[in-house]
Amino acid sequence: MNKGKNLKVRLGSLVLQNPVMTASGTAGYGTELARFYDPSLLGAIILKGISLSPWQGNPPPRIAETPCGMINSIGLQNVGLEAFLKEKLPPVMKYGVPVIANILGNTAGQYATLAERLDGAVHGVELNVSCPNVKKGGIAFGVDPKGFTRLVREARRRMKKSILIVKLSPGAQDIAEFARRAEAEGADALSLINTIPAMAIDANTRRPLIKNIIGGLSGPAIKPIALRMVYQASKAVGIPVIGMGGITTGQDAVEFMLAGAAAVAVGTATFLNPMAPVAILEGIRAYMDKHKIKDVSSLTGGLVEG
Amino acid sequence: MDPLLKRPFGYFRMDAAKGELEILYRVRGRVTSLMSALQKGGEVEMLGPLGNPYPELISSKTPLIAAGGVGIASVYPLLERFKGRAHLFYGGKNRDELPLKETIEKKRLARRLVISTEDGSAGLKGTLVEALEVFLKEQKFPAKSFTLFACGPQGMLKALSRLGLDGYVSVEEKMACGIGVCLGCAVKTKNGYKRACAEGPVFNIKEVAFE
Repeated sequence: MNKGKNLKVRLGSLVLQNPVMTASGTAGYGTELARFYDPSLLGAIILKGISLSPWQGNPPPRIAETPCGMINSIGLQNVGLEAFLKEKLPPVMKYGVPVIANILGNTAGQYATLAERLDGAVHGVELNVSCPNVKKGGIAFGVDPKGFTRLVREARRRMKKSILIVKLSPGAQDIAEFARRAEAEGADALSLINTIPAMAIDANTRRPLIKNIIGGLSGPAIKPIALRMVYQASKAVGIPVIGMGGITTGQDAVEFMLAGAAAVAVGTATFLNPMAPVAILEGIRAYMDKHKIKDVSSLTGGLVEG
Repeated sequence: MDPLLKRPFGYFRMDAAKGELEILYRVRGRVTSLMSALQKGGEVEMLGPLGNPYPELISSKTPLIAAGGVGIASVYPLLERFKGRAHLFYGGKNRDELPLKETIEKKRLARRLVISTEDGSAGLKGTLVEALEVFLKEQKFPAKSFTLFACGPQGMLKALSRLGLDGYVSVEEKMACGIGVCLGCAVKTKNGYKRACAEGPVFNIKEVAFE
């Protein structure tokens, strides 16, 4: 198992036993995972995003495969806050693994209410800022510096017990600027990247493969972009960064840590192999054995430059 | 990494004693082309069983099976389960889309086998839905005495849902995870979006909101 290796990671006041977690939207509310492995093997699980009221999601087709990746336009289908608190949260809290809720909304007020209601009920709250702000003509919070800052501030004000993680959007013109703003507003950690807006077309039918036309690209195809953004964001702040984007092996995870991540999240890889997060954790351990590394945090920012 | 995702298939035949599983598929795109190039002794990675099978038949009902093209792969185990009691309506664009026609005829797997091809190259000219409508009209037994089990293209299932029969359809949706976590395989039902991989792929025909 750990054999003299320290895999602990600290995110604000939350200590994780290892740096691997499931990415939001790829592990449901945790119970489906438990069919395959004990969720408490992981550092944390980040749950499917929830909005104040239930969201139906987009009409199908919602997914399309692309070279080394996939596009999804699920449309953030979720049961809403009340059903989440009543039905989805209690079973996953019993697994004995830190639980991070992911929240989404169309106004800063919705995020604030969600943050307030979830504070103390979960170990952490991750803000999905890639949603459009309907009060500002639908521009996504994550690409509008002022809207973003206000959002993080409102959420931070209402959270005293759980840690606040801000999930940055890859659409940000300058990812380091958004990273700094989140840190200035008191975020305990950052996570990045979310999916990248993308398209796929069937040349024979002349139709887009996704009903919604545009969806989010994920998987190995985005790893180079994600690595670059994790590198830039982590250089700009002192708070820990959770890196994600196409991680399928322990080696990928190590690359993100070398780029600056303190922890990693695994998403699309779970669709290739439901056991992926556990396999990736084992891969990190194997790397540490091979390179005689005693403490996983020594990998963070360990990139050799120049 | 490329192709990235697994593809969903129904099981066609299974021999638990021999430890054998058969999949019947049509070569349509990249992955099925790759599959057709596999050699004996090669390796495939499979996750399963996933989803829900066709429910048991109520013994007082007569089974009607509707198979459109490669949908025959999904309903074939039912022919064996119903031990020759089922009426099978098997249709496609042309006779090349009916690969199991001879097998079913020879083994007498159905009580009545009605073949339809849109171009008339085998059986009745027209769709299987048209053939099924004729059958129901000629029946002295009421529609309620039958249970329909159907698998085939979306348009076929939609037309079947208008016949007022009780029964089940097995739907086909693009899937990413297959285990109910990604919500990619959404099927519109009268009770919101359900997951083809978790609540389906078999649904009550009256529950699906066909478009």
